[in-house]
Amino acid sequence: MNEVFWGMSGMTWALMGAGFAVIGGGIGSAIGITTISNTASGIVTEDSEKFGRVLPLAAMPGTQGIYGLITAILVLQFFEILLQETAPTIPGELGFKIFLSCLPVAVLCLVTAIYQGMTAVGAAGMIARRSEDSGKALIFPALVETYAVFSLIATILMLFSLRNMYMG
Amino acid sequence: MLFRKSVTEPIRYGYAVGRVRVLEGRMLSGGTYERLLDAPTFGEQKRVLSDSPYGRFLEEAETVEGIERGLGLALDELYGFLVTANLPSPVIRFFRVRYDYANLEARLKAELLGVPVEDLLVGLGTVPIEVVKGSAAQLPKFLRDIYMSLSAEDCAVSEEQITGVVDHALFEDLNTAAKSSKSRFLTGLAALMVDLANVKALLRARSKNWRAPDAEALLLDGGNTPLAELMKLYPVPITEIAELLSKRGPLKGVPADRIADLGNYDVLADDLIVRYLKRARMVAAGPEPVIGYVMARQAEVMMLRMLLIGRLSGVPTEVLRRRLRERYE
Repeated sequence: MNEVFWGMSGMTWALMGAGFAVIGGGIGSAIGITTISNTASGIVTEDSEKFGRVLPLAAMPGTQGIYGLITAILVLQFFEILLQETAPTIPGELGFKIFLSCLPVAVLCLVTAIYQGMTAVGAAGMIARRSEDSGKALIFPALVETYAVFSLIATILMLFSLRNMYMG
Repeated sequence: MLFRKSVTEPIRYGYAVGRVRVLEGRMLSGGTYERLLDAPTFGEQKRVLSDSPYGRFLEEAETVEGIERGLGLALDELYGFLVTANLPSPVIRFFRVRYDYANLEARLKAELLGVPVEDLLVGLGTVPIEVVKGSAAQLPKFLRDIYMSLSAEDCAVSEEQITGVVDHALFEDLNTAAKSSKSRFLTGLAALMVDLANVKALLRARSKNWRAPDAEALLLDGGNTPLAELMKLYPVPITEIAELLSKRGPLKGVPADRIADLGNYDVLADDLIVRYLKRARMVAAGPEPVIGYVMARQAEVMMLRMLLIGRLSGVPTEVLRRRLRERYE
């Protein structure tokens, strides 16, 4: 099988997919957390007792970064790249497919983390006004999380299928 | 572009919005206003306010001057918050510049009447009081131009003319500040303020049976309602003008008799502005909630001043109740 696909080796495609997943999730999480953290800091400045209630909101967009990392680890693990002394041979076509499989996490985690941060800002406003609504406030940003989870599931299923098809 | 704005605005204004969300909850409630109205003495009113953000500013107040000083300090703190809120400088100017014009107006009128100006100035503007009452050459250009045009020796002006010229310049400045802020909310607010001021000027002129050109000269540019459209209403009686205004523009839906009641028009105008500001509460993050909160606090200070000074001066409770404005909640 040809080792090169569209001018890049299978290994390069695979690593690029893993890298994109980490970068997309990471950028999204960083922006999402910054967005909600600014608002949370403002709330805590005026009412320090609300720290515990806004903290889960501030942490929520961080999960997309974790999904990106999980994807990268799965790519490295499934296709025997992790902790190998010699570079494994990954056909170019498989590498490209690995890259495509990583895209749901790379793109969706980037977008959902940003929007989750924005939703969390609104939810933090609810907590600022009525502390007793903190449970309800968590639900709205959590709904955005659903789609990040879907992207992770899709990516895992695709990677799993590719491993079974190509690596036996 | 829109996506970039929706990402950057929550980051830029997030801290201020977070603080505002908590501070909004500390604004005076309807119950507090009722207790202030029911309080038989100023001392009792101070006790009602002791746990509010105004308590520490009014602790020492015993006279009208003390109340003015205390509430001035409260406003000063509010404007300090504006600076820390990282709002663009045109937005800060939008809030503070009116005091510069009010100070200039006070100086011009004091000079006209030959009375001392010191007690009439407030230190909440962008120009220090010392500069406002100092030599004309020291005034910043935007104030100096008005001062020069009105205080020329060959120019005999009345108090009304001073108010007219200063108001024109103020609203022009507010419109420019709103436009430079690039905030649609603030631009809309400035336009609404102009519209309401124009309706007031039109009704006042009509009630005094002024000639149409004199009335037109009072109207300000920058509103949503074209001036020609307003002037078309001028020939009809004031009740009909109110009737027509209640069907269009910023006063749509307001009962005509309320519009025609010039004695309480300011209350109506403030209520409409508060209704506009309430839209800001629906914005999760951006400059709008901060602008809305600061405007609402300004209105709160104005109501408080009226209630406290009114009680100290022995104004009946029912009169004070009628002057109460809609609250930002």
